[in-house]
Amino acid sequence: MKKELIELRINGRTYELAIEPNRLLLDLLRQDLGLTGSKRACDDSSCGSCTVQVDGVPMLSCTMLAASCEGQEITTVEGVADHGGLAALQKAYGDFGGAQCGFCTPGFMMTVRWLLANNPDPTEDEIREALSSNLCRCTGYSQMYQAIRAVIQAEQTGKKEELVGAK
Amino acid sequence: MNDFSVIGKSIAMVDAAGKTTGAGKYTDDLSLPGMLVGKILHSPYPHARIKHIDTSRAKALDGVAAVVTGADAPNPYGILPVGHDETALAVGKVRYVGDHVACVAAINEEIAENAIELIDVEYEPLPAYFDPEESMKAESDLIHENRAHNIEKDYHHVFGDLDKGFAEADYVAEGRYIANEVTHAAMEPHSTLANFELDPHTGKLGRLTVWSSTQVPYYLQHKLSLVLEMPMSQIRVIKPLVGGGFGGKSEIIPLEIIAAVAARAARAPVKITYTREEVFWAHRGRPRTIIDLKTGVKNDGRMTAVACKVIQDGGAYCSYGVVTILYSGALLGALYDIPNIRYDGYRVLTNKPACGAMRGHGTVNVRFAFESQMDEIAAKLNLDPAEVRRVNLLKPPTVTVNGLRVLSYGLPECIDQVVARSGWKQRKGKMPKGRGLGVACSHYVSGAANSIIRSDMPHSTVNIKIDRDGGVVVYTGASEIGQGSDTMTAQVVAEVLGCEIARVKVIAADTDLTPIDLGSYSSRVTFMAGNATLRAAEEVKKNIVRASAKRMNCAPEDVIMRDGRVWKASTTLSDSHPTLSDNSKEREAARGHVDGQILRGSVLQTRKEEGPKDHMSFEEAIVAAIDFHGALTGTGSYAPPVAARGGKHKGGGVGPSPAYSYSAQVAEVSVDEETGGVTVHKIWAAHDCGRALNPVAVEGQVIGSVWMGLGQALEEEMIWKDGLLMNPGMLEYRSPSSAESPEIECIIVESIDPEGPFGAKEAGEGSLAATIPAISNAIYDAVGVRLREAPFTPERVLAALRAKKGMKRIEMTESVDPTAPHKLREHGGSLWFRGKGPMRHPRDPARQGTNAGSPMGGGE
Amino acid sequence: MSLPNFQLLRPKSLDEATALMAKYDGQVKVVAGGTDLLPSMKQKLFTPLFVLDLRGISELRGIRKRAGEGVEIGALTTLAAIEHSPMIRKDFPVLYEAVKTIASPVLRNMGTIGGNLCLDTRCLWYNQSLLWRKSCGFCLKKDGDLCHVAPGGKLCWAAFSGDTPPALLCLAAEIEIAGPAGTRRTPLSEFYLNDGIARLNLAPSEIVTRVYVPESSAGWRGSYQKLRVRGSIDYPLAGVAVALKMRAGRVEDARVAITAVNPAPFLVQDADALLVGVVPNDEIAERIGDLAASTAKPLTTSALTPEYRREMVRVFAKRAVMAAAN
Repeated sequence: MKKELIELRINGRTYELAIEPNRLLLDLLRQDLGLTGSKRACDDSSCGSCTVQVDGVPMLSCTMLAASCEGQEITTVEGVADHGGLAALQKAYGDFGGAQCGFCTPGFMMTVRWLLANNPDPTEDEIREALSSNLCRCTGYSQMYQAIRAVIQAEQTGKKEELVGAK
Repeated sequence: MNDFSVIGKSIAMVDAAGKTTGAGKYTDDLSLPGMLVGKILHSPYPHARIKHIDTSRAKALDGVAAVVTGADAPNPYGILPVGHDETALAVGKVRYVGDHVACVAAINEEIAENAIELIDVEYEPLPAYFDPEESMKAESDLIHENRAHNIEKDYHHVFGDLDKGFAEADYVAEGRYIANEVTHAAMEPHSTLANFELDPHTGKLGRLTVWSSTQVPYYLQHKLSLVLEMPMSQIRVIKPLVGGGFGGKSEIIPLEIIAAVAARAARAPVKITYTREEVFWAHRGRPRTIIDLKTGVKNDGRMTAVACKVIQDGGAYCSYGVVTILYSGALLGALYDIPNIRYDGYRVLTNKPACGAMRGHGTVNVRFAFESQMDEIAAKLNLDPAEVRRVNLLKPPTVTVNGLRVLSYGLPECIDQVVARSGWKQRKGKMPKGRGLGVACSHYVSGAANSIIRSDMPHSTVNIKIDRDGGVVVYTGASEIGQGSDTMTAQVVAEVLGCEIARVKVIAADTDLTPIDLGSYSSRVTFMAGNATLRAAEEVKKNIVRASAKRMNCAPEDVIMRDGRVWKASTTLSDSHPTLSDNSKEREAARGHVDGQILRGSVLQTRKEEGPKDHMSFEEAIVAAIDFHGALTGTGSYAPPVAARGGKHKGGGVGPSPAYSYSAQVAEVSVDEETGGVTVHKIWAAHDCGRALNPVAVEGQVIGSVWMGLGQALEEEMIWKDGLLMNPGMLEYRSPSSAESPEIECIIVESIDPEGPFGAKEAGEGSLAATIPAISNAIYDAVGVRLREAPFTPERVLAALRAKKGMKRIEMTESVDPTAPHKLREHGGSLWFRGKGPMRHPRDPARQGTNAGSPMGGGE
Repeated sequence: MSLPNFQLLRPKSLDEATALMAKYDGQVKVVAGGTDLLPSMKQKLFTPLFVLDLRGISELRGIRKRAGEGVEIGALTTLAAIEHSPMIRKDFPVLYEAVKTIASPVLRNMGTIGGNLCLDTRCLWYNQSLLWRKSCGFCLKKDGDLCHVAPGGKLCWAAFSGDTPPALLCLAAEIEIAGPAGTRRTPLSEFYLNDGIARLNLAPSEIVTRVYVPESSAGWRGSYQKLRVRGSIDYPLAGVAVALKMRAGRVEDARVAITAVNPAPFLVQDADALLVGVVPNDEIAERIGDLAASTAKPLTTSALTPEYRREMVRVFAKRAVMAAAN
């Protein structure tokens, strides 16, 4: 199929790209742009490892046509780090064992970030539900709760610096 | 005493940032200039002769660089020396739906996929075997010609005097238990990138480099050498980040060899990444297992004899099968004191993907049966199930009747802990209807005492190099797969050398750079690679201490290295010499801005003239040591002690380990009696890991194991129909989501093993096996039905409840009662599949019986 | 897995969309959220010449209350938007409950109400890769001539697996369909065909554009009960929706609908006859359960046995009646 020239906004930058109409957003990110943080793991839109944010909302990049994303702001896990340092959530996932093999972690970063942006003080059930979009095979999710609670607490007590350390 | 500065303190994994930022690279994230994409053609038949393959149409497609078939790499291989029964691509015959037939390397995925469709293969279907008990009757059309009756291997072990043991028993329990098939489902699909370099002298293809998602890079190097007929020295295997293994990457998976074969044919780098469906076909998971178990006990629950017969539905290739069937028998021992044991194990071939090693290798399904039967015995004799475990404890140090040496043994404390934390004594039997508690125990090896390939080689070797910059580089063959292997390595070195962990850089699992290590399987890394690391660090330390002693005018014994400083034992460090244990100093040290840091040249010269000192920074000590000794390197290796290598009986090499981990668990569940739905509210899991080197990582391993056991207990099951896997994806193979994953409270028990590094043992597998029986025992406590077939899906639980109540039977299990299963069928015991399967050879045993079923299934 | 080749059509208005549908009649697959179509296209279940992406048509997005008429939901409204609408939650609790159980939160951010209404029917012999289907000799629904779950017949039994249609059936919803000849409006109950292949009363050139929930259904109490193995992600293995119009503890009007156990979602006939005028109790609820179970014809298209799934329709219908009433 003929390629089409499109403009995509990814992590705050504009890319002009020639792509086939059947190009999936995930493949475009990984193969054309080298943004390999988003992972392909399931093929049937069930696991969430490829989750990115589109206009701030988490979606599965393996289930979206890249060409359909024109005009929308796409954020991948590569766009999460806070001015070149680990965001509090990323630091906490490391400290509390929220990531083991790490393959599902980028997807979790995108969904949990959305949760905390929309609901800074979620209940246990709300965290559980937010995590239920993404499958993890290592952690049993338990230590993720600890990590997320630590982020919330750091935010609430104004002690985010302590979690991520001085920049 | 626990006076460590690094060991025993929770720290983030050394590679955590790469994982949370997406910067870390897994194999599929890598690419090389001119790289091609490989796609594999798989067999649509479960058992067929390949009469002819024509690849010409595929080769002619524009964008296709090469098409390879079995003829391009016909040498057989297999993870076990006794099981070299696989080829990377089928030679002559295919043995399961999904078997690898051909591979296309093309400029992109789409062209490769299209080319696959252009390969013409003519098959002659053969009768296929799907049910292990049917397969064992086979006389002809064998899956492998040299395996009579399709039995890969059978073992018959007797330890002690069975007749006497059963004669002494006051009560003998007997039952059949079935555990259906599960798979690892690691989040990362297998991926391999292979690249040949041109030899400057011959001008031909020379060295091969393979990046692969593997737990065992050195075995991969060995098998590549075997198949490609290249010397191992010309093959470099590099393991990038691995997105979970659980045993699924602990042997050579076909794509790892196919990528190299395709790269050789295409003369370009080739990357192959399995689709999720291909991952299910590659499989190597936990086999469906029939366990016939008989236990004799005295009235107080004390065991007198155990007889156990195990049949494993192993799939089409040997894989780790011989080891699996041996583990199933050997690890009847080393948990409890059993005076008399008989074990009969059968590993059977069937026309399905090969089963292999999966977390808790060989022990899990048998442990489900064993711990369930203990619960039945407790109920029958009116004993507390926790007490029945206590009266059967081992008295270490001891060697079990089947030759397993047990030194450290934290099981009693594990039981005490979960009994106390769960409120077992106060709550058991007093909960509202439909809610209950169950207890179970398990254990696992800290590495196998005997390697797969018998040799006198150490199991792990580690090198350390320290240069004048004060950077400590550790070279280890141990494979980080997410379990924290690299972090453990860095911790051990930092503790021994008394330096900051940020100073330690771990180079791991690259066969060109790192010394040989058997890999990440059988929970061997912390114990074996950890011990090798410890020895290497101690060797380096000797030289640093010797030089430091000289500089400080003291005896080497008086030199203390800790927290980034070196001092004489007689010196008291005042506040003006702060230790570097606080964070900011540590970071500064890592950046090289600490006061007094001496690197090179003139600074060094002036400092040198200062005369004797009573304390030094780590850097000063390193410079002194290098000036004194020249290169500062150390090496250490580990081989299990002879005393831990087990008995001399046939098959006695599998099961022995230098140390065993122990676990006790209590599960709290409720059962919806109308739906059969089981909700697990909480699991208390106590795990004896010897010493927790990194507690947050140990908790993660234990919780992860318990959680994976929960998946096998309630939701996960591979469903087969005439050799077709009905659920080859994450949507239909149900790995638990957070929504139904319960709280798991991990309690670390530290028995301090005399031979483990700092006393450590395994943490990553041993807890899995206890979870399944803890849940089934809790279901019994809640509603009084005994599930003898796993997983305990709602329909199985409901069928059991209805049978107990004498209510209208639901025709969901046919003759297979989940409380008394008697046959392991192709589609598992809970027969939810009764449709018409694909066309198969008329002599298929599956075609004979009731296969057609009711044409309308459950319709009216 | 790559997608087959196609040409992407991205209309900016409904008129443009219908014109394109007419122009390429029968050669177009419509995509909105993509969560149903794209995985199936990876499996080569569909290889259309054109894919028409509706996402640019903003007029089809949003929930609007129209005084005296009820509520209009644009077909492109995401399931998450419906879930988070306070008005839907208050006035149409059965719809809220159904939406909340669909797949996972992220999939609800993508999936649309139009897509959920038009979901392809599902079967384990159908929703598989090309090679997998080849190895079973294909099936009636795609590329083959045999049904594996009911080999004798010529009917496809793939199960309709949407969660919102039973809720919307209980609310007497109507849908608007746009086609070359303009728009038409039809009761949702006439939209489905009990045939896994034909599925919908929808011409190849037509698009579902809006859902209307009548004012008369506002305030009905409701409950949706779903059978699934996991607490998230899964499609329903059975689902029951119940909506009750209550006054002073008595049922004034009632509707019960089921999903995922037939090729179409169904209203349970005569449920209202049992419920109207009564104060719901366990006995009535049990009878509703029996009625719902007899409407269900599950086959081995999905996980768990058909017997069990039908049994759960009985249990869930009973529970939904009691949950809606209380």
